[in-house]
Amino acid sequence: MKRILIAGIGNVLLQDDGFGPCVVRMLEARYRFESNVEVADLGTPGLDLADYLIGQDCVILIDSVKSEQQPGTVLLYRLPEILQRQVELRIGPHAPALTETLLTLDLLGAAPAELLLVGVVGHSYEMGCNLSQSVQMSVDSAIAEILRELARLGVHFESKQYAAEPDLWWTKRPASMGAGATGE
Amino acid sequence: MTRRIKIDPITRIEGHLRVDVEVDNGRVSDAWVSSTMWRGMEKILQGRDAREAWLFAQRICGVCTTVHAIASVRAVEDALKLQIPANAQYIRNLILIHHALRDHVVHFYQLSALDWVDVLQIPRADPGRASSLAEGFSSWTRNSREEMKAAKDKATRIAESGQLGILTNGYWGHPAMHLRPEANLLLFSHYLQALEFQRKASQAVAVLGGKMPHIQNLTVGGVANAINLDSEAVLGMEGLESIQVLMSEVSNFVHGVYFPDACALAGYYPEWFGSGRGSDRYLAVPDLPRDPQASRYDLPGGYIRDFAADSASRSVRFMDGRFRESITEDVTHAYYRGDKALHPWKGETIPEYTDWHPDQKYTWVKAARYEGQPAEVGPLAQVLIGYMQGHALTRKWTDAALDRVSSIARHKIGIEQLRSTMGRHLARAIRAAVLADLAHEHWQMLVDNISRGDCSTHNSPSFPDGEIEGVGTHEAPRGALSHWVVIEKGKIKNYQAVVPSTWNASPRDKNGVRGPYEAALLGTEIADAEKPLEALRTIHSFDPCMACACHALDPSGKRIGTAGDL
Repeated sequence: MKRILIAGIGNVLLQDDGFGPCVVRMLEARYRFESNVEVADLGTPGLDLADYLIGQDCVILIDSVKSEQQPGTVLLYRLPEILQRQVELRIGPHAPALTETLLTLDLLGAAPAELLLVGVVGHSYEMGCNLSQSVQMSVDSAIAEILRELARLGVHFESKQYAAEPDLWWTKRPASMGAGATGE
Repeated sequence: MTRRIKIDPITRIEGHLRVDVEVDNGRVSDAWVSSTMWRGMEKILQGRDAREAWLFAQRICGVCTTVHAIASVRAVEDALKLQIPANAQYIRNLILIHHALRDHVVHFYQLSALDWVDVLQIPRADPGRASSLAEGFSSWTRNSREEMKAAKDKATRIAESGQLGILTNGYWGHPAMHLRPEANLLLFSHYLQALEFQRKASQAVAVLGGKMPHIQNLTVGGVANAINLDSEAVLGMEGLESIQVLMSEVSNFVHGVYFPDACALAGYYPEWFGSGRGSDRYLAVPDLPRDPQASRYDLPGGYIRDFAADSASRSVRFMDGRFRESITEDVTHAYYRGDKALHPWKGETIPEYTDWHPDQKYTWVKAARYEGQPAEVGPLAQVLIGYMQGHALTRKWTDAALDRVSSIARHKIGIEQLRSTMGRHLARAIRAAVLADLAHEHWQMLVDNISRGDCSTHNSPSFPDGEIEGVGTHEAPRGALSHWVVIEKGKIKNYQAVVPSTWNASPRDKNGVRGPYEAALLGTEIADAEKPLEALRTIHSFDPCMACACHALDPSGKRIGTAGDL
């Protein structure tokens, strides 16, 4: 069976850069996958991304991207495009490492056979734990693109009857601490 | 003629660093180091539960997740004066060691080797001779002629195709690259092998810490791992054995490949022991505590005030109280408001952006100072301090390294010469060799302690009503890291992370004293202003990672070495 990785990339402390982690956590809360599919919030791994890509047949990455288009626009990129546009390409905050990771794997003959990057054009990258509104509204479109890709790859998945609460711990406002906070 | 060269960006991983050097008659006459983004962790953390701080801190930098997580829990524990169980110390130490080993191997092969190895010379190499060369350095099993031939074929295919891929940005054919073809091939073959071993170190961290890259097993007061030798569900004999297997593979690679390679590279480029010296002051924090009280450490820390002075005064032992009082951050040349150097507990992060101006403000990095002076941090600082203190493992591996290098270079290279661009690479390999030995020791201490029936991993924190302050330190792969926290009624009031790159990439302070990168660049020879490879070598020797000194938001172009007449 093909090994599939669905990975959210980005920094959850930098507003729209947290799009990737947010999308994969929503995806996990709503859908059930078979054991050959791994869903991961990888943060901003830089070149360490290689560790997670090795051994995967197909990879779907979700990240924020830099583009002239409207914030919230979802853009799709395939592996050859990313490799070709190596020097000039600046897809997002982590693009240098993404491109370099893929090129390093290419050199080793260990790059995944297929890769789809689902990118959203960000609006704001200031320090902060919430997505801006235009980007928040694109979460469902990104999930739809992921599901379309999985269907194309022939990967089985099903909706959870009762969607779980997604674990978006960083978006919670500082909790007011009552008496219970002095011990665990 | 004086030319100013701008090198931007200089890091090969996330985070962006810009270096401006003035070159006068082929040598660097002045340097300014700047990073393009700013930080402000306290804005995110203010008002949050102190027990959650580490989860957020772990997200400061995706490359150094575990590093910030551990410094953060230590800061809160320090504020609470809360000891953690011995098992928790050992489990944390094993995580720290494996993270560091991975990081050092990645730095040497993925991030620096290609500053020295000319891939386009490899097609001329004789695989048999490269194999003999490698076997002379180490008994590593993958130094055969076949391994070398496979690496040569790969490099040859790439060179002939003209599709250089990841190798596109190298300064191939630069006059400062002078390894013979077989040495280029040997190092390139290990560059290819390194990736496999990096992963094993991450896997060891994952067995203890849970799904990587963000560990989940920390908690203020210890670790969340449950220990039961007979259970497969929690950390038991099976998990401990799998860590041992991974640990042995990683340490074999460090001792059999990375350490000999670093010595060989240094022996082939001995002139780089004479360049990139930089600061006279070095700072390292002690790490790898051996007991719940952290009364003894396996990695030495300290401060060297003046390396040029006689040996007796060279090393000041790390003193906790003094460390707490001695650190300030100056923003005279950084894009923040304020005119006083502030202690991290009082630290502020109020942005005040101006254009890049070499005499005024030019970076988002604050100038970290120890007793008012800049200090270099990182493996070099740690090795020098350990050596001066007579730390046995540091002495053993430093002496071994210097012997190897001297024999390859055919002249004596001494401890003094470690204070250089090449010395930083060698010190990192020495530190890795020390850590690989210590991994086995801390694994054994964990197993022995559990075997004695101690399964405790966590002490519960209890927060007082008043205001408390704490500092958590960690000697991270890039050097001394400290997280500073002020807590009131269990909630965070202030939080500052003084990261290693804040020390090394620091700008000038109010007295005009340059930071360590800036100082190290002075006097560097630049053969070709269009290809400032020599400046890159010196900056890379520090292992810059700007992601947590500052955040990367808008990476600028990949232009390296835009030269302009001044």
